[in-house]
Amino acid sequence: MIKLENVTKVYPGGTVAVKDATLDIAKGEFVFLVGASGSGKSTIIRMIMREELPTNGDLWIAGKHANELPSWKVPYLRRSIGTVFQDFKLLPTKTVYENVAFAMEVTAKHRSVIRNQVPQVLKLVGLSDMADRLPRQLSGGEQQRVAVARAFVNRPLILLADEPTGNLDPATSVGIMRILDRINRTGTTVVMATHDHAIVDAMQRRVVELDRGRISRDESRGIYETRQTPVIEDSVAGEIPATQPEAESADEVPEVTVDEAVGGGPEEVLTQDTGDEAKA
Amino acid sequence: MTSLSYIFKEAFNNLGRNALVVLGAILAVFISLTLTFGTLVFGEVVRVNTLQWAKDVRVIAFLQDDMTPEATAELQNEVASWPQVADVSYVSKPEAFEEAVIMFSSNEAMLRTLEESPDLLPASLRVQPVDPEDYERIVIRLESTPGVHQVESAGDAIDAMIALRDGLQIMFWLLAVALGVAAVALIANTIHMAIYARREEIEIMRLVGASNWFVRTPFLIEGAMEGLIGGALAVTFIVVAQQLAVDRLSDLPDWINLAIQNDFILRRGALVLLFGVVAGLVGSSLSLAVHRTLRS
Repeated sequence: MIKLENVTKVYPGGTVAVKDATLDIAKGEFVFLVGASGSGKSTIIRMIMREELPTNGDLWIAGKHANELPSWKVPYLRRSIGTVFQDFKLLPTKTVYENVAFAMEVTAKHRSVIRNQVPQVLKLVGLSDMADRLPRQLSGGEQQRVAVARAFVNRPLILLADEPTGNLDPATSVGIMRILDRINRTGTTVVMATHDHAIVDAMQRRVVELDRGRISRDESRGIYETRQTPVIEDSVAGEIPATQPEAESADEVPEVTVDEAVGGGPEEVLTQDTGDEAKA
Repeated sequence: MTSLSYIFKEAFNNLGRNALVVLGAILAVFISLTLTFGTLVFGEVVRVNTLQWAKDVRVIAFLQDDMTPEATAELQNEVASWPQVADVSYVSKPEAFEEAVIMFSSNEAMLRTLEESPDLLPASLRVQPVDPEDYERIVIRLESTPGVHQVESAGDAIDAMIALRDGLQIMFWLLAVALGVAAVALIANTIHMAIYARREEIEIMRLVGASNWFVRTPFLIEGAMEGLIGGALAVTFIVVAQQLAVDRLSDLPDWINLAIQNDFILRRGALVLLFGVVAGLVGSSLSLAVHRTLRS
Protein backbone atom coordinates (compact mmCIF):
# COMPACT_ATOMS: atom_id res chain seq x y z
CA MET A 1 0.00 0.00 0.00
CA ILE A 2 2.83 2.36 0.92
CA LYS A 3 6.42 1.70 -0.04
CA LEU A 4 9.50 3.81 0.53
CA GLU A 5 12.75 2.67 -1.09
CA ASN A 6 15.91 4.41 0.07
CA VAL A 7 13.98 7.65 0.43
CA THR A 8 15.92 10.75 1.36
CA LYS A 9 14.32 14.15 1.81
CA VAL A 10 16.42 17.28 1.90
CA TYR A 11 14.52 20.55 2.33
CA PRO A 12 15.61 23.68 0.51
CA GLY A 13 18.25 25.15 2.78
CA GLY A 14 19.91 21.81 3.32
CA THR A 15 18.01 20.34 6.25
CA VAL A 16 18.05 16.57 5.91
CA ALA A 17 14.68 15.44 7.25
CA VAL A 18 14.69 11.79 6.16
CA LYS A 19 17.77 9.73 5.35
CA ASP A 20 17.75 6.58 3.26
CA ALA A 21 14.46 5.29 4.63
CA THR A 22 13.07 1.99 3.41
CA LEU A 23 9.64 1.00 4.58
CA ASP A 24 6.93 -1.29 3.30
CA ILE A 25 3.44 -0.96 4.71
CA ALA A 26 0.89 -3.55 3.64
CA LYS A 27 -2.82 -2.98 3.10
CA GLY A 28 -4.73 -2.98 6.36
CA GLU A 29 -1.73 -2.41 8.61
CA PHE A 30 -1.72 -0.04 11.58
CA VAL A 31 1.66 1.64 11.89
CA PHE A 32 2.94 4.06 14.51
CA LEU A 33 5.71 6.44 13.52
CA VAL A 34 7.52 7.46 16.68
CA GLY A 35 10.60 9.50 17.45
CA ALA A 36 11.69 12.82 18.85
CA SER A 37 10.55 16.11 17.38
CA GLY A 38 12.42 16.75 14.15
CA SER A 39 13.18 13.07 13.62
CA GLY A 40 11.30 13.07 10.29
CA LYS A 41 7.88 11.64 11.20
CA SER A 42 5.90 14.52 9.78
CA THR A 43 8.05 14.61 6.66
CA ILE A 44 7.22 10.97 5.98
CA ILE A 45 3.52 11.73 6.52
CA ARG A 46 3.76 14.72 4.16
CA MET A 47 5.49 12.60 1.52
CA ILE A 48 2.77 9.93 1.74
CA MET A 49 0.21 12.74 1.25
CA ARG A 50 2.30 13.70 -1.76
CA GLU A 51 2.62 17.19 -0.24
CA GLU A 52 6.39 16.74 -0.50
CA LEU A 53 8.41 14.70 -2.96
CA PRO A 54 11.44 12.59 -2.02
CA THR A 55 14.76 14.18 -2.96
CA ASN A 56 16.13 10.69 -3.63
CA GLY A 57 14.70 7.22 -3.69
CA ASP A 58 11.31 5.88 -4.77
CA LEU A 59 7.91 6.23 -3.19
CA TRP A 60 4.77 4.27 -4.02
CA ILE A 61 1.41 5.30 -2.63
CA ALA A 62 -1.68 3.15 -3.20
CA GLY A 63 -0.03 1.54 -6.22
CA LYS A 64 1.06 4.86 -7.74
CA HIS A 65 4.70 5.78 -8.22
CA ALA A 66 4.58 9.13 -6.44
CA ASN A 67 7.85 10.39 -7.96
CA GLU A 68 6.34 10.29 -11.41
CA LEU A 69 2.78 11.33 -10.60
CA PRO A 70 2.01 14.60 -12.42
CA SER A 71 0.82 17.29 -10.06
CA TRP A 72 -2.62 17.54 -11.68
CA LYS A 73 -3.24 13.93 -10.66
CA VAL A 74 -2.40 14.58 -7.02
CA PRO A 75 -6.00 15.55 -6.09
CA TYR A 76 -7.20 12.16 -7.36
CA LEU A 77 -4.55 10.37 -5.30
CA ARG A 78 -5.62 12.40 -2.25
CA ARG A 79 -9.14 11.04 -2.56
CA SER A 80 -7.77 7.67 -1.51
CA ILE A 81 -5.94 9.19 1.45
CA GLY A 82 -7.62 10.57 4.58
CA THR A 83 -5.70 12.96 6.80
CA VAL A 84 -6.04 13.95 10.45
CA PHE A 85 -3.91 16.59 12.15
CA GLN A 86 -3.15 17.77 15.63
CA ASP A 87 -5.03 21.04 15.03
CA PHE A 88 -8.22 19.43 13.61
CA LYS A 89 -8.47 21.88 10.68
CA LEU A 90 -12.25 22.23 10.86
CA LEU A 91 -14.09 25.09 9.16
CA PRO A 92 -15.43 27.27 11.97
CA THR A 93 -18.46 28.53 10.06
CA LYS A 94 -19.72 25.10 9.07
CA THR A 95 -21.60 22.68 11.29
CA VAL A 96 -20.33 19.21 12.12
CA TYR A 97 -22.47 17.77 9.33
CA GLU A 98 -21.31 20.40 6.84
CA ASN A 99 -17.66 19.93 7.73
CA VAL A 100 -17.90 16.23 6.98
CA ALA A 101 -20.07 16.74 3.90
CA PHE A 102 -17.55 19.31 2.61
CA ALA A 103 -15.03 16.56 1.82
CA MET A 104 -17.63 14.90 -0.40
CA GLU A 105 -19.03 18.07 -1.97
CA VAL A 106 -15.66 19.29 -3.17
CA THR A 107 -14.83 15.92 -4.65
CA ALA A 108 -18.05 16.11 -6.63
CA LYS A 109 -19.99 13.34 -4.90
CA HIS A 110 -23.66 13.10 -5.66
CA ARG A 111 -26.02 14.73 -3.19
CA SER A 112 -27.80 11.47 -2.44
CA VAL A 113 -24.49 9.77 -1.65
CA ILE A 114 -23.60 12.61 0.70
CA ARG A 115 -26.95 12.41 2.47
CA ASN A 116 -26.44 8.70 2.91
CA GLN A 117 -22.78 8.61 3.94
CA VAL A 118 -22.37 11.56 6.29
CA PRO A 119 -24.83 10.33 8.95
CA GLN A 120 -23.24 6.86 8.81
CA VAL A 121 -19.78 8.24 9.45
CA LEU A 122 -21.02 10.58 12.17
CA LYS A 123 -22.57 7.53 13.82
CA LEU A 124 -19.25 5.72 13.51
CA VAL A 125 -17.44 8.47 15.42
CA GLY A 126 -20.30 8.87 17.89
CA LEU A 127 -21.40 12.37 16.94
CA SER A 128 -24.85 11.68 15.50
CA ASP A 129 -26.43 13.95 18.12
CA MET A 130 -24.10 16.84 17.38
CA ALA A 131 -24.51 17.12 13.62
CA ASP A 132 -25.87 20.66 13.84
CA ARG A 133 -23.27 22.03 16.25
CA LEU A 134 -20.49 24.36 15.25
CA PRO A 135 -16.89 23.37 15.99
CA ARG A 136 -16.55 25.99 18.74
CA GLN A 137 -19.43 24.34 20.59
CA LEU A 138 -17.49 21.07 20.77
CA SER A 139 -14.72 19.80 23.04
CA GLY A 140 -11.29 19.11 21.57
CA GLY A 141 -11.94 15.38 21.46
CA GLU A 142 -15.25 15.89 19.69
CA GLN A 143 -13.65 18.24 17.19
CA GLN A 144 -10.99 15.65 16.42
CA ARG A 145 -13.70 13.05 15.93
CA VAL A 146 -15.28 15.36 13.34
CA ALA A 147 -11.89 15.59 11.62
CA VAL A 148 -11.61 11.79 11.63
CA ALA A 149 -15.11 11.50 10.21
CA ARG A 150 -14.19 13.92 7.43
CA ALA A 151 -11.00 11.98 6.70
CA PHE A 152 -12.91 8.72 6.50
CA VAL A 153 -16.12 9.77 4.78
CA ASN A 154 -14.69 9.17 1.30
CA ARG A 155 -13.60 5.68 2.41
CA PRO A 156 -9.88 6.15 1.79
CA LEU A 157 -7.42 3.30 1.35
CA ILE A 158 -5.00 5.06 3.66
CA LEU A 159 -5.60 7.16 6.76
CA LEU A 160 -2.71 9.40 7.80
CA ALA A 161 -2.74 10.90 11.27
CA ASP A 162 -0.08 13.37 12.36
CA GLU A 163 -0.16 13.67 16.14
CA PRO A 164 -3.95 13.31 16.23
CA THR A 165 -3.96 13.15 20.02
CA GLY A 166 -1.33 15.85 20.50
CA ASN A 167 -3.83 18.42 21.77
CA LEU A 168 -5.99 16.01 23.74
CA ASP A 169 -5.89 14.66 27.27
CA PRO A 170 -5.10 10.95 27.64
CA ALA A 171 -8.66 9.83 28.23
CA THR A 172 -10.00 11.68 25.19
CA SER A 173 -7.10 10.26 23.21
CA VAL A 174 -8.32 6.74 23.97
CA GLY A 175 -11.64 7.63 22.37
CA ILE A 176 -9.90 8.81 19.20
CA MET A 177 -7.70 5.71 19.13
CA ARG A 178 -10.74 3.50 19.43
CA ILE A 179 -12.21 5.15 16.33
CA LEU A 180 -8.94 4.87 14.40
CA ASP A 181 -8.75 1.22 15.39
CA ARG A 182 -12.28 0.67 14.17
CA ILE A 183 -11.44 2.36 10.87
CA ASN A 184 -8.35 0.18 10.57
CA ARG A 185 -10.52 -2.91 11.01
CA THR A 186 -12.49 -1.97 7.89
CA GLY A 187 -9.28 -2.63 5.95
CA THR A 188 -8.01 0.94 5.86
CA THR A 189 -4.28 1.25 6.28
CA VAL A 190 -3.54 3.62 9.16
CA VAL A 191 -0.24 5.46 9.61
CA MET A 192 -0.02 7.59 12.72
CA ALA A 193 2.84 9.80 13.86
CA THR A 194 2.77 10.26 17.60
CA HIS A 195 4.61 11.17 20.79
CA ASP A 196 2.06 9.44 22.94
CA HIS A 197 3.81 6.62 24.82
CA ALA A 198 0.70 5.33 26.50
CA ILE A 199 -1.21 4.89 23.30
CA VAL A 200 1.61 3.16 21.43
CA ASP A 201 2.26 0.81 24.29
CA ALA A 202 -1.40 0.03 24.78
CA MET A 203 -2.22 -0.61 21.14
CA GLN A 204 0.60 -3.12 20.53
CA ARG A 205 0.87 -2.43 16.81
CA ARG A 206 3.73 -2.07 14.37
CA VAL A 207 6.12 0.65 15.52
CA VAL A 208 8.59 2.42 13.24
CA GLU A 209 11.01 4.59 15.16
CA LEU A 210 12.87 7.44 13.52
CA ASP A 211 16.11 8.86 14.84
CA ARG A 212 17.35 12.01 13.14
CA GLY A 213 15.83 11.01 9.82
CA ARG A 214 16.87 7.38 9.88
CA ILE A 215 14.63 4.42 10.61
CA SER A 216 16.22 3.03 13.75
CA ARG A 217 13.62 0.40 14.66
CA ASP A 218 10.76 -1.41 12.96
CA GLU A 219 8.86 -3.88 15.15
CA SER A 220 5.64 -5.63 14.29
CA ARG A 221 4.17 -5.44 17.80
CA GLY A 222 6.23 -2.76 19.43
CA ILE A 223 6.10 -0.28 22.25
CA TYR A 224 7.13 3.35 22.26
CA GLU A 225 10.64 3.03 23.63
CA THR A 226 13.03 0.15 24.05
CA ARG A 227 16.15 1.74 25.41
CA GLN A 228 14.74 3.29 28.54
CA THR A 229 12.41 1.55 30.88
CA PRO A 230 9.11 3.38 30.82
CA VAL A 231 8.33 4.48 34.33
CA ILE A 232 4.99 6.17 34.25
CA GLU A 233 3.34 4.62 31.23
CA ASP A 234 1.83 1.69 33.03
CA SER A 235 0.20 3.74 35.69
CA VAL A 236 -1.17 6.23 33.15
CA ALA A 237 -2.50 3.54 30.90
CA GLY A 238 -4.05 1.84 33.87
CA GLU A 239 -5.73 4.96 35.09
CA ILE A 240 -7.29 6.11 31.87
CA PRO A 241 -10.55 4.23 31.69
CA ALA A 242 -11.19 4.22 35.41
CA THR A 243 -10.64 7.73 36.63
CA GLN A 244 -11.13 10.12 33.74
CA PRO A 245 -14.74 11.11 33.27
CA GLU A 246 -14.25 11.64 29.55
CA ALA A 247 -13.12 8.06 29.22
CA GLU A 248 -16.69 7.12 29.99
CA SER A 249 -17.99 9.25 27.21
CA ALA A 250 -15.44 7.56 24.99
CA ASP A 251 -16.87 4.24 26.10
CA GLU A 252 -20.26 5.52 25.16
CA VAL A 253 -19.25 5.61 21.53
CA PRO A 254 -22.03 3.43 20.21
CA GLU A 255 -21.36 0.11 18.65
CA VAL A 256 -21.62 0.70 14.96
CA THR A 257 -21.62 -1.50 11.96
CA VAL A 258 -19.32 0.08 9.46
CA ASP A 259 -20.91 0.29 6.09
CA GLU A 260 -20.73 -2.98 4.22
CA ALA A 261 -20.02 -1.11 1.03
CA VAL A 262 -16.45 -0.47 2.12
CA GLY A 263 -14.68 -2.24 -0.72
CA GLY A 264 -14.68 -5.69 0.84
CA GLY A 265 -13.36 -4.51 4.17
CA PRO A 266 -14.41 -6.76 7.02
CA GLU A 267 -17.62 -5.79 8.66
CA GLU A 268 -16.63 -4.58 12.04
CA VAL A 269 -18.53 -4.36 15.26
CA LEU A 270 -17.03 -2.30 18.00
CA THR A 271 -15.99 -4.52 20.84
CA GLN A 272 -14.48 -3.76 24.19
CA ASP A 273 -11.14 -5.04 22.92
CA THR A 274 -9.54 -1.64 22.59
CA GLY A 275 -10.62 -0.67 26.05
CA ASP A 276 -9.10 -3.86 27.41
CA GLU A 277 -5.94 -3.18 25.49
CA ALA A 278 -5.72 0.23 27.00
CA LYS A 279 -5.99 -1.31 30.42
CA ALA A 280 -3.50 -4.05 29.68
CA MET B 1 -24.48 18.73 -12.06
CA THR B 2 -23.86 18.95 -8.35
CA SER B 3 -20.29 20.16 -8.80
CA LEU B 4 -21.19 22.85 -11.33
CA SER B 5 -23.94 24.27 -9.15
CA TYR B 6 -21.55 24.10 -6.22
CA ILE B 7 -18.92 26.11 -8.07
CA PHE B 8 -21.38 28.85 -9.05
CA LYS B 9 -22.85 28.88 -5.56
CA GLU B 10 -19.34 29.37 -4.17
CA ALA B 11 -18.54 32.16 -6.61
CA PHE B 12 -21.73 34.06 -5.73
CA ASN B 13 -21.42 33.36 -2.00
CA ASN B 14 -18.01 34.89 -2.20
CA LEU B 15 -19.29 37.98 -3.97
CA GLY B 16 -21.73 38.39 -1.10
CA ARG B 17 -19.36 37.47 1.71
CA ASN B 18 -16.72 40.03 0.89
CA ALA B 19 -19.25 42.62 -0.25
CA LEU B 20 -17.07 45.59 0.59
CA VAL B 21 -13.92 44.29 -1.09
CA VAL B 22 -15.92 43.17 -4.10
CA LEU B 23 -17.62 46.56 -4.31
CA GLY B 24 -14.18 48.14 -4.26
CA ALA B 25 -13.01 45.96 -7.15
CA ILE B 26 -16.14 46.61 -9.20
CA LEU B 27 -15.77 50.35 -8.64
CA ALA B 28 -12.11 50.17 -9.58
CA VAL B 29 -12.96 48.33 -12.80
CA PHE B 30 -15.81 50.75 -13.40
CA ILE B 31 -13.57 53.77 -13.03
CA SER B 32 -10.69 52.36 -15.08
CA LEU B 33 -12.99 51.15 -17.83
CA THR B 34 -15.00 54.38 -17.81
CA LEU B 35 -11.80 56.29 -18.36
CA THR B 36 -10.63 53.77 -20.93
CA PHE B 37 -13.91 53.83 -22.80
CA GLY B 38 -14.22 57.59 -22.38
CA THR B 39 -10.76 57.91 -23.83
CA LEU B 40 -11.72 55.76 -26.80
CA VAL B 41 -14.88 57.78 -27.35
CA PHE B 42 -13.06 61.08 -27.04
CA GLY B 43 -10.40 59.80 -29.41
CA GLU B 44 -13.17 58.96 -31.86
CA VAL B 45 -14.64 62.46 -31.51
CA VAL B 46 -11.24 63.90 -32.35
CA ARG B 47 -10.83 61.51 -35.27
CA VAL B 48 -14.28 62.27 -36.70
CA ASN B 49 -13.72 66.00 -36.36
CA THR B 50 -10.25 66.05 -37.89
CA LEU B 51 -11.69 63.94 -40.67
CA GLN B 52 -14.32 66.61 -41.14
CA TRP B 53 -11.66 69.32 -41.28
CA ALA B 54 -9.53 67.20 -43.56
CA LYS B 55 -12.29 67.36 -46.17
CA ASP B 56 -11.50 71.03 -46.51
CA VAL B 57 -7.86 70.37 -47.18
CA ARG B 58 -7.08 71.34 -50.77
CA VAL B 59 -3.99 71.51 -52.88
CA ILE B 60 -4.35 74.17 -55.54
CA ALA B 61 -2.44 73.83 -58.80
CA PHE B 62 -2.43 77.05 -60.84
CA LEU B 63 -2.28 76.27 -64.53
CA GLN B 64 -0.25 77.94 -67.25
CA ASP B 65 -2.29 80.40 -69.27
CA ASP B 66 -1.55 78.76 -72.63
CA MET B 67 -3.29 75.44 -71.87
CA THR B 68 -5.88 74.28 -74.41
CA PRO B 69 -9.18 73.03 -73.02
CA GLU B 70 -8.24 69.50 -74.25
CA ALA B 71 -4.89 69.59 -72.48
CA THR B 72 -6.59 70.88 -69.33
CA ALA B 73 -9.16 68.09 -69.37
CA GLU B 74 -6.39 65.56 -69.97
CA LEU B 75 -4.39 66.96 -67.05
CA GLN B 76 -7.44 66.87 -64.79
CA ASN B 77 -8.09 63.22 -65.69
CA GLU B 78 -4.46 62.34 -65.10
CA VAL B 79 -4.35 63.95 -61.65
CA ALA B 80 -7.67 62.33 -60.75
CA SER B 81 -6.14 58.95 -61.55
CA TRP B 82 -3.39 59.32 -58.92
CA PRO B 83 -4.03 56.98 -55.98
CA GLN B 84 -3.54 59.72 -53.35
CA VAL B 85 -6.18 61.91 -54.94
CA ALA B 86 -9.81 61.75 -53.89
CA ASP B 87 -11.26 64.44 -56.11
CA VAL B 88 -10.17 67.06 -58.65
CA SER B 89 -12.25 70.04 -59.68
CA TYR B 90 -11.39 72.57 -62.40
CA VAL B 91 -11.76 76.25 -61.74
CA SER B 92 -11.62 78.26 -64.94
CA LYS B 93 -10.38 81.84 -65.24
CA PRO B 94 -13.92 83.36 -65.15
CA GLU B 95 -14.79 81.19 -62.10
CA ALA B 96 -11.61 82.29 -60.36
CA PHE B 97 -12.55 85.88 -61.13
CA GLU B 98 -16.03 85.43 -59.60
CA GLU B 99 -14.57 83.80 -56.48
CA ALA B 100 -12.16 86.67 -56.07
CA VAL B 101 -14.91 89.23 -56.48
CA ILE B 102 -16.88 87.56 -53.68
CA MET B 103 -13.79 87.17 -51.49
CA PHE B 104 -12.71 90.80 -51.84
CA SER B 105 -16.20 92.34 -51.95
CA SER B 106 -15.29 94.74 -49.17
CA ASN B 107 -11.95 95.80 -50.65
CA GLU B 108 -12.53 98.62 -53.15
CA ALA B 109 -8.93 98.83 -54.39
CA MET B 110 -8.66 95.13 -54.98
CA LEU B 111 -12.02 95.05 -56.73
CA ARG B 112 -10.91 97.84 -59.02
CA THR B 113 -7.72 95.96 -59.93
CA LEU B 114 -9.74 92.86 -60.66
CA GLU B 115 -12.20 94.76 -62.85
CA GLU B 116 -9.35 96.25 -64.86
CA SER B 117 -7.86 92.89 -65.78
CA PRO B 118 -10.32 90.01 -65.35
CA ASP B 119 -7.73 87.67 -66.91
CA LEU B 120 -5.25 88.25 -64.13
CA LEU B 121 -6.16 85.19 -62.05
CA PRO B 122 -5.07 81.89 -63.54
CA ALA B 123 -7.25 78.81 -63.99
CA SER B 124 -6.55 76.11 -61.42
CA LEU B 125 -7.15 72.51 -60.38
CA ARG B 126 -8.42 72.06 -56.82
CA VAL B 127 -7.10 68.68 -55.62
CA GLN B 128 -8.54 66.95 -52.55
CA PRO B 129 -6.27 64.25 -51.06
CA VAL B 130 -7.61 60.91 -49.87
CA ASP B 131 -5.55 61.29 -46.71
CA PRO B 132 -4.55 64.82 -45.74
CA GLU B 133 -1.14 63.45 -44.75
CA ASP B 134 -0.46 62.80 -48.44
CA TYR B 135 -0.73 66.45 -49.45
CA GLU B 136 3.03 66.88 -49.67
CA ARG B 137 3.46 64.08 -52.20
CA ILE B 138 0.65 65.54 -54.25
CA VAL B 139 2.33 68.94 -54.13
CA ILE B 140 5.65 67.50 -55.32
CA ARG B 141 4.06 65.50 -58.06
CA LEU B 142 2.01 68.43 -59.29
CA GLU B 143 5.06 70.69 -59.36
CA SER B 144 6.79 68.40 -61.82
CA THR B 145 3.71 68.02 -64.01
CA PRO B 146 3.82 69.91 -67.35
CA GLY B 147 1.15 72.61 -67.63
CA VAL B 148 1.21 73.40 -63.90
CA HIS B 149 2.51 76.86 -63.20
CA GLN B 150 2.55 76.96 -59.42
CA VAL B 151 1.27 74.84 -56.51
CA GLU B 152 -0.21 76.18 -53.28
CA SER B 153 -1.32 74.41 -50.10
CA ALA B 154 -1.98 75.25 -46.47
CA GLY B 155 0.98 73.02 -45.53
CA ASP B 156 1.69 74.27 -42.01
CA ALA B 157 -1.93 74.17 -40.96
CA ILE B 158 -2.29 70.61 -42.23
CA ASP B 159 0.89 69.52 -40.46
CA ALA B 160 -0.25 71.07 -37.20
CA MET B 161 -3.64 69.41 -37.42
CA ILE B 162 -2.15 66.01 -38.18
CA ALA B 163 0.35 66.34 -35.33
CA LEU B 164 -2.44 67.29 -32.93
CA ARG B 165 -4.60 64.38 -34.00
CA ASP B 166 -1.78 61.81 -33.79
CA GLY B 167 -0.52 63.20 -30.49
CA LEU B 168 -3.96 63.05 -28.91
CA GLN B 169 -4.53 59.55 -30.19
CA ILE B 170 -1.21 58.26 -28.84
CA MET B 171 -1.94 59.91 -25.50
CA PHE B 172 -5.40 58.37 -25.38
CA TRP B 173 -4.09 54.93 -26.15
CA LEU B 174 -1.34 55.15 -23.51
CA LEU B 175 -3.92 56.29 -20.99
CA ALA B 176 -6.28 53.49 -21.97
CA VAL B 177 -3.53 50.87 -21.65
CA ALA B 178 -2.40 52.20 -18.26
CA LEU B 179 -5.96 52.19 -16.96
CA GLY B 180 -6.54 48.69 -18.31
CA VAL B 181 -3.48 47.44 -16.47
CA ALA B 182 -4.75 49.14 -13.31
CA ALA B 183 -8.08 47.34 -13.66
CA VAL B 184 -6.31 43.98 -13.97
CA ALA B 185 -4.14 44.72 -10.94
CA LEU B 186 -7.13 45.76 -8.84
CA ILE B 187 -9.07 42.62 -9.71
CA ALA B 188 -5.98 40.52 -8.96
CA ASN B 189 -5.79 42.19 -5.58
CA THR B 190 -9.44 41.52 -4.81
CA ILE B 191 -9.15 37.88 -5.73
CA HIS B 192 -5.98 37.70 -3.67
CA MET B 193 -7.96 38.88 -0.66
CA ALA B 194 -10.78 36.47 -1.45
CA ILE B 195 -8.30 33.59 -1.56
CA TYR B 196 -6.75 34.77 1.68
CA ALA B 197 -10.16 34.95 3.34
CA ARG B 198 -10.84 31.37 2.26
CA ARG B 199 -7.37 29.91 2.79
CA GLU B 200 -8.52 27.40 5.43
CA GLU B 201 -11.26 26.16 3.17
CA ILE B 202 -8.84 25.88 0.25
CA GLU B 203 -6.30 24.02 2.38
CA ILE B 204 -8.95 21.47 3.32
CA MET B 205 -10.20 21.22 -0.26
CA ARG B 206 -6.70 20.37 -1.37
CA LEU B 207 -6.31 17.97 1.52
CA VAL B 208 -9.39 15.95 0.65
CA GLY B 209 -8.56 15.91 -3.06
CA ALA B 210 -10.67 18.59 -4.72
CA SER B 211 -9.39 18.93 -8.27
CA ASN B 212 -7.48 22.05 -9.23
CA TRP B 213 -10.23 23.41 -11.44
CA PHE B 214 -12.74 22.83 -8.69
CA VAL B 215 -10.68 24.96 -6.33
CA ARG B 216 -9.87 27.65 -8.89
CA THR B 217 -13.00 28.04 -10.98
CA PRO B 218 -15.04 29.91 -8.34
CA PHE B 219 -12.29 32.54 -8.17
CA LEU B 220 -12.13 32.81 -11.95
CA ILE B 221 -15.90 33.24 -12.12
CA GLU B 222 -15.74 35.83 -9.36
CA GLY B 223 -13.07 37.80 -11.21
CA ALA B 224 -14.96 37.58 -14.50
CA MET B 225 -18.17 38.73 -12.79
CA GLU B 226 -16.43 41.73 -11.24
CA GLY B 227 -14.94 42.66 -14.60
CA LEU B 228 -18.28 42.23 -16.36
CA ILE B 229 -20.26 44.29 -13.85
CA GLY B 230 -17.61 47.02 -13.76
CA GLY B 231 -17.47 47.04 -17.56
CA ALA B 232 -21.26 47.19 -17.93
CA LEU B 233 -21.42 50.14 -15.54
CA ALA B 234 -18.66 51.89 -17.47
CA VAL B 235 -20.35 51.41 -20.85
CA THR B 236 -23.70 52.60 -19.47
CA PHE B 237 -22.06 55.63 -17.88
CA ILE B 238 -20.25 56.70 -21.05
CA VAL B 239 -23.25 56.17 -23.32
CA VAL B 240 -25.44 58.28 -21.02
CA ALA B 241 -22.75 60.93 -20.61
CA GLN B 242 -22.20 61.17 -24.36
CA GLN B 243 -25.92 61.51 -25.00
CA LEU B 244 -26.16 64.25 -22.40
CA ALA B 245 -23.17 66.03 -23.89
CA VAL B 246 -24.70 65.95 -27.37
CA ASP B 247 -28.06 67.25 -26.05
CA ARG B 248 -26.75 69.93 -23.72
CA LEU B 249 -23.92 71.31 -25.80
CA SER B 250 -25.95 71.98 -28.92
CA ASP B 251 -24.70 75.57 -29.12
CA LEU B 252 -21.10 74.55 -29.83
CA PRO B 253 -19.53 75.98 -33.00
CA ASP B 254 -20.59 73.74 -35.85
CA TRP B 255 -17.05 72.72 -36.75
CA ILE B 256 -17.09 70.61 -33.55
CA ASN B 257 -19.22 67.52 -33.71
CA LEU B 258 -19.86 65.41 -30.58
CA ALA B 259 -22.23 62.92 -32.15
CA ILE B 260 -20.68 59.54 -32.81
CA GLN B 261 -21.92 56.65 -34.88
CA ASN B 262 -24.00 54.23 -32.77
CA ASP B 263 -22.07 51.53 -34.51
CA PHE B 264 -18.85 52.72 -32.93
CA ILE B 265 -20.41 52.86 -29.46
CA LEU B 266 -21.82 49.36 -29.84
CA ARG B 267 -18.62 47.81 -31.12
CA ARG B 268 -16.28 49.52 -28.69
CA GLY B 269 -18.77 49.02 -25.87
CA ALA B 270 -18.79 45.28 -26.53
CA LEU B 271 -15.00 45.41 -26.63
CA VAL B 272 -14.91 47.16 -23.25
CA LEU B 273 -17.24 44.54 -21.76
CA LEU B 274 -15.08 41.78 -23.19
CA PHE B 275 -12.03 43.52 -21.82
CA GLY B 276 -13.70 43.70 -18.40
CA VAL B 277 -14.28 39.94 -18.43
CA VAL B 278 -10.77 39.24 -19.72
CA ALA B 279 -9.29 41.61 -17.13
CA GLY B 280 -11.23 39.73 -14.46
CA LEU B 281 -9.98 36.37 -15.68
CA VAL B 282 -6.40 37.57 -16.06
CA GLY B 283 -6.51 39.27 -12.68
CA SER B 284 -7.81 36.20 -10.87
CA SER B 285 -5.43 33.89 -12.77
CA LEU B 286 -2.53 36.09 -11.76
CA SER B 287 -3.41 35.96 -8.13
CA LEU B 288 -4.18 32.23 -8.29
CA ALA B 289 -0.75 31.69 -9.83
CA VAL B 290 1.11 33.58 -7.12
CA HIS B 291 -0.88 32.35 -4.16
CA ARG B 292 1.01 29.97 -1.95
CA THR B 293 -2.04 28.09 -0.69
CA LEU B 294 -2.78 26.96 -4.23
CA ARG B 295 0.62 25.72 -5.23
CA SER B 296 1.01 22.00 -5.48
